[in-house]
This record gives sequence, structure tokens and C-alpha cells, in this order.
Amino acid sequence: MNIAVNLTPAELALGGMMLPHARMEDWRWTNLRTLIDRPYPPGGKIAVAAKEIARLRDTSPLARMPAARLVFVNGAFSQGESRFPASGEVGIRPGLPRLSASDEPVASLNANFATDGLTLTIRSGANIDTPIELLFLATDADPRTIATRVAVDIGAGASATLIETFAGEGSYLANSAVSIALGEGARLDRVTLERQAPGAIHLADRDVTLQGRAVLRDFTLTAGAKLNRQNARYTLAGEHADARIAGAYLLGGRQHADTRLVVRHAKPHCTSREIFKCVMDDHARGIFQGKVIVDPGAQKTDGKQSSHALLLSETAEFDAKPELEIFADDVVCGHGATSGDLDHNHLFYLRSRGIPEREAKAMLVAAFVEEAFETIGNDHIRAALGEIATGWLASRGGAS
Amino acid sequence: MILNGLSLTVNAGEVHAIMGPNGSGKSTLSYVLSGREGYVVTQGSVTYRGQDLLAMEPDVRAAKGVFLAFQYPIEIPGVATMQFLKVALNAQRKARGEKELSTPDFMRLVKARAAKLGVSQDMLKRAVNVGFSGGEKKRAEILQMAVLEPSLCILDETDSGLDIDALRIVADGVNALRSPDRAMIVITHYQRLLDYIVPDVVHVLSQGRIVKSGGKNLAHELEERGYAQFEKDAA
Repeated sequence: MNIAVNLTPAELALGGMMLPHARMEDWRWTNLRTLIDRPYPPGGKIAVAAKEIARLRDTSPLARMPAARLVFVNGAFSQGESRFPASGEVGIRPGLPRLSASDEPVASLNANFATDGLTLTIRSGANIDTPIELLFLATDADPRTIATRVAVDIGAGASATLIETFAGEGSYLANSAVSIALGEGARLDRVTLERQAPGAIHLADRDVTLQGRAVLRDFTLTAGAKLNRQNARYTLAGEHADARIAGAYLLGGRQHADTRLVVRHAKPHCTSREIFKCVMDDHARGIFQGKVIVDPGAQKTDGKQSSHALLLSETAEFDAKPELEIFADDVVCGHGATSGDLDHNHLFYLRSRGIPEREAKAMLVAAFVEEAFETIGNDHIRAALGEIATGWLASRGGAS
Repeated sequence: MILNGLSLTVNAGEVHAIMGPNGSGKSTLSYVLSGREGYVVTQGSVTYRGQDLLAMEPDVRAAKGVFLAFQYPIEIPGVATMQFLKVALNAQRKARGEKELSTPDFMRLVKARAAKLGVSQDMLKRAVNVGFSGGEKKRAEILQMAVLEPSLCILDETDSGLDIDALRIVADGVNALRSPDRAMIVITHYQRLLDYIVPDVVHVLSQGRIVKSGGKNLAHELEERGYAQFEKDAA
């Protein structure tokens, strides 16, 4: 690292930690040194009225869904606000879990500044039907860094649905690290809903490991925050593990979202799919960087990734960087990326049947992202998130 | 210039056939009437029920009763057929100040109309026109027409790509919609369709204008003698 660099105000507020910049390959489109233009000092405790928390919680489209809810308010785990899982097969241990050493910048920030967290364990063989939601709320207060850390351990043969919801108001930098271990034959349906405040910054680091025959269905909706960077590493560490990783962006204004996925096939006969559907309007910028690594000996790997962008304005932008690193010789791997605007023939067809332009565009946006939403196994969650997609254009005054 | 000096009056209850060779402007006429982008009307006017049709957006025209059955119906992946039809019907009803249809009422309506046109439940479950054969697409267009109950139906080469059985089903569907307060413009290249949908008036379109109008027998005359004679007249 270049010690001659003048630290930015944001870096000084973070105790002199240097933020990632455009000369780092993974960060070429997301230069945090320039994009984070004010200090976000690591936060102390903030007192919040219960009424305020309830109000914020109820803005979630999943608020009325039956779920166990583990609530973090401004980076502190709030047991009082939480509804613990009824099942005795789910264990919850408050406190910061250990983070595996990493020089990844988002993980490093978390290692330095995480204030609270929990460890969630699901006993081997347990089938947990009721979804478990981790709800991270930020209230309107001075700009600050809010960092949390969660570890999830799903025992062999167990199954569960885990939701991570991020919401808030005001100006803050949220840093969230989550590590997930799926045991042999475990199944996890994971849904992330990022609808942070419009003035917020969202930095996430995910580390997911699948043992043999484990099945992961992973969906992330990126809709909030002015600046979003989501890193995730998936390791298929046992034979016949199967990961389907999907995401959708709904970005307008000057929103910036960058997802960086690394899927590592460490053992033979594993399957991975990445499918990202990104919608950008106004001056929004979306980035998708997906890397698939096939280790030596990981034969019969089946790995595919695709990213598709829908650009609703001339000034919106999308960048895709697919990468394959293959060290085995009997594999099927592929990637694809497309970008385009709304199909005018589709639009005319809908309008010729009496559907007003705004509504027709909204239908086509929802249709575009649908394939990614199909990854969500739970009908309630898919419907609730689908409504966000359908209502998105109207909620922000529509595309030009 | 694709349409030039075209003059046409269609009264409620009438079925007009417009015949013409390729490139005569048949499809352009249908797109201009339905409001597709990319067509500029430099001169002339279109009056629909006393109102300036050209000033209306496509969805406004639809709500006022204009329906185009496309020559090549558009496939829209990700948009479910039933949802599309329901949104369309209720958007039109809303625009007209009518009460929106409830889901059960809507389902009953569509199922009854679909059965008559041989549109299967399976087709209704798919995305709009996706994976439909040519004949299925045409039947789906007529189903939309039957559900939306327009007052001006424009059928653009609805017979193209249909075998004789499919043609009969589609024609029966169209004929069932004939009524004293509904007008139809049937655009076709061949006389065959007009054996099933018998028009009140037949027009010959050539080089952007109507060069001859007559009764239903004009279609047979065209079939025997071809369009060449009229192209000479138009030149």
C-alpha cells in the first residue's frame, strides 16, 4: 500500500484504514476513496424509542409474514425487539462470532469495527419451516459506520429459510459480514433484501461453504442505498453440492451497485448457477463481477453464470466482468451477459390492449427480473418481493 | 409515403375487407389506426366516433374500443397471459369509468370465451404468446378481442399461417363478435378468409390508396384476375 497517499476524511474517521480504490482489480468500478465523500465514524450506542423501531420494522414488505425475527438496531442485537424461533432445534448465541482472517477490504472493515452479532445454528436433520429473518435497522442519526457480523451453521441434512433484510433512514455506512456453513446434504433458501435508506452506503461480505450434496438457493434484491458493494464467496467443498445464486437490481437516480461473486468448485460433480437481472434508470450504474474457479480435480463441474441488464435511460450504465479460471479438463462452464433497453414492440403490444404506458413499462420491468425471482422457493417471500419489482417504477415517478 | 390519398368510411355494424398486394400499405394502415410508433401522418385525419383518433395514445384508443389483431402477435416472456388480459381489461374499464372486474368474474369470462376458440388452459397459463404455434397465436388474438369487446376490430392478415381447420375456428370466433354496434376492418391478401368472414364491402388497396370498392363479389373477381389491373389504375 502506498503510504504517501493522503488519507481521505472518511479514512481518517475509520482510524486511518485505507479504503479500496480503482487501481485494485476487483474495485475498478467502485472507488470507495472517492465515492465515500464524508466521514462515517464508527458508531457508539444510540438510544431509540421502541415506537420508532416498530415504525421502521413495519415498513418492510415482509413485516406481516410469519417468521422468527432477529432484530439489530443501529448495529446492536436487540433481544427485546426480536421474536426467537419456536423450534428448540435452532440455537441463537448473541455476541460477535469469529471472522476468518481476510485482507478483503469490506471484511477488514468488519474485523475492525463490528460492534455486535450472533451465531445461528440449526441442528442436524432439523427441518425449520418458519423462515428466520435477520432484520438490520438503522435509524436517522448522525452519519456513522454500523458494522455487524453473523455466523450461520446449518447441520447435516437440515433445512431452513433465512432472510436478511436491511432497511433504515438517514445517512450511514452499513457493513455486514455473514458466514454460512451448510453441512452434508443441508438445504438453505437464502433471501437478501437490501432496501437501505437512499442516503446510505451498504458494504457486505459473504462467505458461504457447501458440503457434499448441500443445496443453496440464494437471491438478493438490491434496491436501496446510494452506494452498494456486495462481495460473496461460495465454496462448493463437497461432491454434488448445488448452488443457485440469483440477484436483481432496481436502481434509479445516481445509485451505484457492484456485486462481486467468486464461486469455487473445489470438488467434482458440483453445480453452480448465477443469474443476475439488473435494471438501471436515470444515472444509475450497475456492475456485476462473477468469477468461477474450478480447482484441479473438480471434474464434472457444471457452472454457468449470466448477467442481463435493462437500461431504462440513455445515461444509465452497466458493466459486467465474467471470469472463468478452470484447472480441470472435464467440465461444462459458461457465461453470458446482455444489455438493452425496453423492447418497443412489447411496449406497443401492451399499450394496444389498453394498458397505459407507465403500467406497461412496470409490467415489462417485472417480467425482466422474474427469472431471478424464481430462485426464491418460499411463495410468500417471492410474492412480497415481486410486488417491490412491480411497484418500483411507479414508486419513483416512472421512467422517461 | 406509404399511404397516400386513402379515404374510407366504416359504419357501426359493417365489415369491410381491405385487399391488396404486398407493399400496398395494408399493415401500415392497421398500425396508423392503432397508433404504433414510427409512422408519421403528414396529412389527413382519422375520425373515430366523432373524435380525432390520431391525437390519442395507443392505450387511449384501445380503451375507446379500437383493437388490432396483429399479423405477427408479439411474444412477451415473463408476462403471464391471464395477468396481461386482466390488467388490460381493467385498465380499459377504468379509463371508461366502469367498475373493474373481480378475479373470479374475470376468470369465468375468459374461460367461457377461451373454450369457444379452442384456447386451452395450458395456453392461458403460459407467458403472452410464448411457445404458441402460429395458429395458436392467431386464436389468442381473437380471444383477446372476445374478452376486450372492442367496437372497432382491425384484423391484420389474421388468415396468414392458418390451416383450414384453424381458419374456420378463428372465423367462427370473429363472426360471433359481429354485431350492429361493432365495426370490423379485415385486412387480407387472399379471398379465402372472406369465404368465412363475409364482408359487406370490399376495398382494393394499391400504392397507398383505395382504387376500387365493391360488394363481396369483388373479392372473387380479384382472386380470378389478380391485382395487376388495379396497380395500373393507381399508377
